[in-house]
Amino acid sequence: MIQLEGIRKSFGKQQVLGGINLTVQKGEVVVILGPSGSGKTTLLRCINYLERPDQGVIQIGNQKLEGKHPGRSEIHRLRQRTAMVFQQYNLFKHKTALENVMEGLTIVRGVPRDTAAEIGIEMLEKVGLGDRLHYYPSQLSGGQQQRVGIARALALNPEVILFDEPTSALDPELVGEVLEVIRRIAEEGITMIIVTHEMGFARDVASRVVFMDGGAIIEQGTPDDIFQRPREERTRQFLRRITPEANYSI
Amino acid sequence: MSFDPSFMWTAFLSLFKALPTTLFITIISVAAGLVIGTIVALARLYRIPVLSQLASAYVTFVRGTPMLMHLLLIYFGLPIIIDGIAGLVGSSFTSASIPLLAFACIAFSITAGAYMSEVVRAGILAVDKGQIEAAHAVGMTTPQALRRIVFPQALAVSLPNLSNSVIGMLHGSTLAYTISVIEINAQAQIVAADNWKYFEAYLAAALLFWGLTVLIERMSGWLEYRLNRFQRGGAA
Ligand SMILES: Nc1ncnc2c1ncn2[C@@H]1O[C@H](COP(=O)(O)OP(=O)(O)OP(=O)(O)O)[C@@H](O)[C@H]1O
Ligand SMILES: [Mg+2]
Repeated sequence: MIQLEGIRKSFGKQQVLGGINLTVQKGEVVVILGPSGSGKTTLLRCINYLERPDQGVIQIGNQKLEGKHPGRSEIHRLRQRTAMVFQQYNLFKHKTALENVMEGLTIVRGVPRDTAAEIGIEMLEKVGLGDRLHYYPSQLSGGQQQRVGIARALALNPEVILFDEPTSALDPELVGEVLEVIRRIAEEGITMIIVTHEMGFARDVASRVVFMDGGAIIEQGTPDDIFQRPREERTRQFLRRITPEANYSI
Repeated sequence: MSFDPSFMWTAFLSLFKALPTTLFITIISVAAGLVIGTIVALARLYRIPVLSQLASAYVTFVRGTPMLMHLLLIYFGLPIIIDGIAGLVGSSFTSASIPLLAFACIAFSITAGAYMSEVVRAGILAVDKGQIEAAHAVGMTTPQALRRIVFPQALAVSLPNLSNSVIGMLHGSTLAYTISVIEINAQAQIVAADNWKYFEAYLAAALLFWGLTVLIERMSGWLEYRLNRFQRGGAA
């Protein structure tokens, strides 16, 4: 279980997160929606302390971190409970697909190389890249790179995988293959928090949808609650803006 | 006085005796310079209090003064410090027992450290920030991330600059003759003076340095090709 309490974060004078509370149960797939600049990325990055929150408590499993100044080793332990899939993939450029997936296992978890290679191959096969094990990122398409990114996250068997707009940097024709992979692993009961602008996908995959605006959670609920019966005006506005089909059908 | 090409061969043979000294000074100062340069670059990049200010002062001073001055300052200054300390602790050690070569190596390591810190810094800055974030996200500590992810990529991009630094130190090592270290340049002077054939001796020395420089460039080019395999794209 993941619990965020009163997470606040400012960059200089600009408040980006104004006291976020969010609980995610084991096995839940939480999709975070919201307009650009609403703080979605910042929130996700606070969960693994790539960004230090100014205030608040982050609890993952039985580990609790508070505010701005936890020790280095505490942050290090917290990060081992999480994995992240980045918008720009951020694969290790000088390592092959398989090495990318093995790296965390051998270096961080101390898994022996041959076991790590077995896990790596298994994960890459799972994302449909069993035939690209020894390719460097520069030799892979964006969609393939992102699937390696997902395999790298999966291999660590984390308590939660954080996805920050995993398909936003992709050419439209490559979006589908990545969403398909995420959809499949969602069915395996892995806890995930996903920031995305893909509404159809959000509706499909989410067990809960959270709508953020201006650094606050405006409302949350099942996909049906949010997409069919949004209670807040701001949510309605947002959905109107990003699902133009609704406008045409009038 | 006429040009005597046959003497160049004699000069070459004599210069080869000094080659190990030149290579030793170059290799030591480059290796130590790389270590110093990396520490200095990291102190500045991570803005470590006190250390980063000291590092900046070191870099501006060394880069703002001629390499010959570093050598002379160490040659004349270090004995004062060492003998002073030895006197304080009552040790019988004196600076006179330090070989001249050591002064050259220490001075040039200091020179190389400052120049190479800039090379290392540029190399690290050239690595995408997302790389270290991804390393942290998979649970690596900062030292692990630097060692496994950042440095290899930084090295690949800085090779041309590094090889320039190595060449600079190779050529700079000739200054060691001023404190009577017999490197290639000093050896050329000796063989020239013995035979009163300066041009031939220095020409031989110049050709030797040229050859060494080409060798360094070749090695660096080969390494660059190997280390950058990962970013060439195309099919595997
Ligand atoms: N490192 C930073 N320094 C200064 N300001 C930042 C930094 N990171 C984010 N911000 C600001 O914080 C606000 C929230 O940014 P964030 O990236 O979290 O938004 P987002 O909801 O992910 O937006 P998008 O949908 O465009 O990705 C923005 O106004 C942004 O300019
Ligand atoms: Mg974002």
